[in-house]
Amino acid sequence: MAIRELKVCLLGDTGVGKSSIVCRFVQDHFDHNISPTIGASFLTKTVPCGNELHKFLIWDTAGQERFHSLAPMYYRGSAAAVIVYDITKLDSFQTLKKWVKELKEHGPEDIVVAIAGNKNDLGDIREVPMKEAKEFAESIAAIFIETSARNAVNVEELFQKISKQIPPLEKSEVDSNESFKLTRQPAPTTRRCC
Amino acid sequence: MDRSSSFFKLIDTFASEICDLKKEMVQTSSTTDKNPKELQGLESEVSGVYLMPPNCCRVMGERDSGYDSLRRRMSVLDRLSQTHPVWLLLAVSETEASRILFKQPPGVFLVRKSATLQRKVLSVRLKEDQSRSPICHFPVKESQYTFSLEGSEIGFADLFRLVAFYCISRDILPFALKLPEAIASAKTKKELEEVAQLGAGSLNYYFTGWSPQRTNRYREVEESQQRYPGAQCDSAPPTLKPHTPPPSFHQDRRHSSGPLCFVNPLFLQTHQHNHSCEASPSHAVKSDNNLENAGKLSVKLLSDLDDIKQHTDSLKLNNKSKPPRPPPPRSMPRRRPAPPPPGPSGTTIRPKSMPEAAAVTASQHQPPSRRPAPARPPVAVSQSSSVPVPSNPPPPRPKKPDLEAHRCHIALDDETIAKALSRAKLPPCQPPPAVPTDVLLDNNAGSPPNPNEGGCQRLSDMSMSTSSSDSLEYSSPEFSLGLDPMEDSSEEDEDRDEDEDEDYGVSLETDLEMRLRPSFKAQRRRVGVRLGRGPFILPRALKGRFSKVGGMLSSLMTPERRAVKRIAELSRDKSSYFGSLVQDYNNFVQENRGCHTSGMDFLQTLRQFMTQMKAYLRQSSELDPPLESLIPEDHIDQVLEKAMHKCVLKPLKSVIEAVLHDFQVSSGAWQQLRENLALAKTKRPKELGVDGAVPPDPMAIEKIRHKFLKMRKMYSPEKKVSLLLRVCKLIYTIMQNNSGRMYGADDFLPMLTYVVAQCDMPQLETEIQYMMELLDPSLLQGEGGYYLTSAYGAMALIKNFQEEQAARVLSSEARNTLHQWHRRRTNQRSVPSVDDFQNYLRVALKEVDMGCTAKTLVVHPYTTTEEVCSLCAYKFKISDPENYALFLVTADTSQQLAPDTHPQRIKAELHSRPCAQLFHFVYRRVPNLNLCIPAIMQNGNCLQVE
Repeated sequence: MAIRELKVCLLGDTGVGKSSIVCRFVQDHFDHNISPTIGASFLTKTVPCGNELHKFLIWDTAGQERFHSLAPMYYRGSAAAVIVYDITKLDSFQTLKKWVKELKEHGPEDIVVAIAGNKNDLGDIREVPMKEAKEFAESIAAIFIETSARNAVNVEELFQKISKQIPPLEKSEVDSNESFKLTRQPAPTTRRCC
Repeated sequence: MDRSSSFFKLIDTFASEICDLKKEMVQTSSTTDKNPKELQGLESEVSGVYLMPPNCCRVMGERDSGYDSLRRRMSVLDRLSQTHPVWLLLAVSETEASRILFKQPPGVFLVRKSATLQRKVLSVRLKEDQSRSPICHFPVKESQYTFSLEGSEIGFADLFRLVAFYCISRDILPFALKLPEAIASAKTKKELEEVAQLGAGSLNYYFTGWSPQRTNRYREVEESQQRYPGAQCDSAPPTLKPHTPPPSFHQDRRHSSGPLCFVNPLFLQTHQHNHSCEASPSHAVKSDNNLENAGKLSVKLLSDLDDIKQHTDSLKLNNKSKPPRPPPPRSMPRRRPAPPPPGPSGTTIRPKSMPEAAAVTASQHQPPSRRPAPARPPVAVSQSSSVPVPSNPPPPRPKKPDLEAHRCHIALDDETIAKALSRAKLPPCQPPPAVPTDVLLDNNAGSPPNPNEGGCQRLSDMSMSTSSSDSLEYSSPEFSLGLDPMEDSSEEDEDRDEDEDEDYGVSLETDLEMRLRPSFKAQRRRVGVRLGRGPFILPRALKGRFSKVGGMLSSLMTPERRAVKRIAELSRDKSSYFGSLVQDYNNFVQENRGCHTSGMDFLQTLRQFMTQMKAYLRQSSELDPPLESLIPEDHIDQVLEKAMHKCVLKPLKSVIEAVLHDFQVSSGAWQQLRENLALAKTKRPKELGVDGAVPPDPMAIEKIRHKFLKMRKMYSPEKKVSLLLRVCKLIYTIMQNNSGRMYGADDFLPMLTYVVAQCDMPQLETEIQYMMELLDPSLLQGEGGYYLTSAYGAMALIKNFQEEQAARVLSSEARNTLHQWHRRRTNQRSVPSVDDFQNYLRVALKEVDMGCTAKTLVVHPYTTTEEVCSLCAYKFKISDPENYALFLVTADTSQQLAPDTHPQRIKAELHSRPCAQLFHFVYRRVPNLNLCIPAIMQNGNCLQVE
């Protein structure tokens, strides 16, 4: 199976649980064969998808306003962006909308956008209604899911949904390589008979 | 990452196999007495080394090709690596391969690259059998570190070893391969070279009975072959399917997923030595010490592998360097000189007259001194082939250093090592084993071994021979001990030392070497112990030699290291095209420092040059043997990248630093950075956004500073990045402070900013610039790229600290720079791809519901869009081509191309624009409403939200 590396960028306000979601995703099935990354800001995880393996290279960003200007460096070249908000903080949902806008304007053209409402376990102090968030996500054709990093709810599903939206590499690309062969020409054909 | 772990597995397996080997050799030695003597050694060693169940090697004839070559004192591997132009025909198609092989006897083979499988394929001529095609194709599996045949579990470090092994053992093949006659019968390296000159053409000679020299010895072998008539007749059950492994061999394999181990076919050389000595009085000693031998042999096994290779490689390079090569065009097909025109009859192509044909071609490539001379110096012949005449005095040496003689010499050197080792272990009173004396005498060239010196003398022989790849230029080996230029090894040491630092468990995905290091050390130590156990004391002066042997052991593990070394050697050779390009460029950069507009511009031209040179090396014929045969294909790029760092960045490092610093100073950035750094340094962690995590104390900061200083000393961007990763790892460790909490970017980036501020090193900015612009583009998405981005971000924040304080936001200028950098670097990723070359155009098919499919098409500059469209319709199998058109799509535009335009011209025009823009050729349906709707919808909704 071919491994495809997919850069995934994590955006969202500070404190909404961006890294908790990813840590949960990466740690749940700890594979000792894969040497761990040095820290939780950059994590990788490989999941099967169809006949491919998707290796997610997950780039976390700092959510504080002062680091906002660095975000383009992180989301450039991303196959997907996960924008996280905290369902108990309305502000974080407003920030999310700003990120969506910025991605549309400056992000990669075909980026898959996923919206994750985290801290779903704290439903009793919810500030962002699920319906509103879902409608917003549909309006921008984004993936929507509510998660709980703490209880490991929907974390796996979030990334599965992303995987499914990544267009598969076409097999037929292979035969195009035929024309690549600049290096070695066929051996000199000598018409000899013996 | 899994790559390295699987490699470790391999090493482990390898180590355990060596243990098994020891055991097996003990076992077999007890039973061998029953067998005929000739078979004995071969049987036990082959089954031991190759892990074959005994019933697989029952038929003597199966190994005949390997077996004859034993007699001629050149290993199969030697023969194969000398003559790869004959059988390594990567560009040959299946039909062509079948055509070539059809005329050949069973067992003859070639290796080509299948266009449909996109893999290398071993094509073998089978026996005549009406039911099946007479040619069978076995795909070659390339993993990260090994080459193996599909269905087999035995892996090899390179293609040569794979083929050599299958010349000796059939494993999953219906029978063992047979060396082409011309190769099998050649007796000297020179003859092999002649064969190689003919390239694939010499395959045509298989059946014409031509061989460089047919001698009595050859007939002898022929006769011996006839004595085992089973040779090619009853060995292959015709029903055996090529892809079905023999059940007995595979049933109880524990690691069924990957190739099992590296096998060194050269091992047979040792056997051959033993074999030739069998009649001698020392034979008893040999079998007594069997266990010990096994141990020694395993050492030898290791050293042989790369040693011989290095010998031949360096020799080849030496030879190659002589003829100044006219610069080949970029896409010059790799072609050997055409074989000589058909001679009137087989006899006229015999050695004496053959040079007429071959010498015409050969003379273009060889200096006159090496032209095949009819009366060749007897020394070469005797050295390479005349083993069983120990009583003959060694023939007089030619006065001038005869490269040819050295060459043959080398084949013997490894045996000398083994002999020296085994002799060193003998009790002093024992008579030395009857080594063919000419071998030792030749090696010592004039200084006959002094019996009184005993083991030490042998040992010095040995050390000399291990370093002979360096000492070849010296006519007399005795000088080599003193004068031996240690340049290469010291260079390697330097590279190695760069990495030897406390390890924080950091792992940069590509920097495997770093993680292999512990095992190198272990290996070296083990060898040291083994050698040290002997009854003699190592002369101090020789210890360096042993570390060198250790170095060779280590390069066993990384064949890519050898490849890097060879490219680096080629780059120093001004008479090669590649060498002259690199040298000229390096000189140009040194002399024209001022011709760049900015440091970034300068680094970009460097990166571009390296990328171009990589593309050149991939296509040129100057690397011999081709890299594909030594390095698994998905690994080649990394090897080339490393080599380019060594060839370009290493010599230019100080110049680059000076240029970057000059720009930094002249632009005022240096001053600005220093001031802002000083300001930022006064800030407490909290003021820089750190919240909660533990900041490093001054001691830790000092440690980090030290690492940054160390980073400055390196030339390789990858290694710099790996040090940066160590710094980051250290910061994480301190932050976590045993709490086990995982910190994400929200906490890490402010902390990194704090650390960078505390380190107060304005030089760090050029370091980061260097890494960002020169790092292999394929690494930019990984961990290294992430932390490099973070470091750049931290630096940018500090550089604009005052402004940030004021405006709380980065200057728009800095922000633009970031945008541009990423756009530029993502563009560069596509630079080395094939579609950038002339006559290739990459076209994507965009289907409404299916995403994109891209194909690279052959499109000439004068091909019109209309023609490209019909080609696309054909290639993409479009049933209604009238509804499709070719579009040029850029970041924000998409325009349909008129039928009479020329896509290649458009591409060239776009490429030549000063600010490169990302663009694609897309073949898609004309009414593309569907494609646009989602975007419009999204944008519309965005606006509504606001």
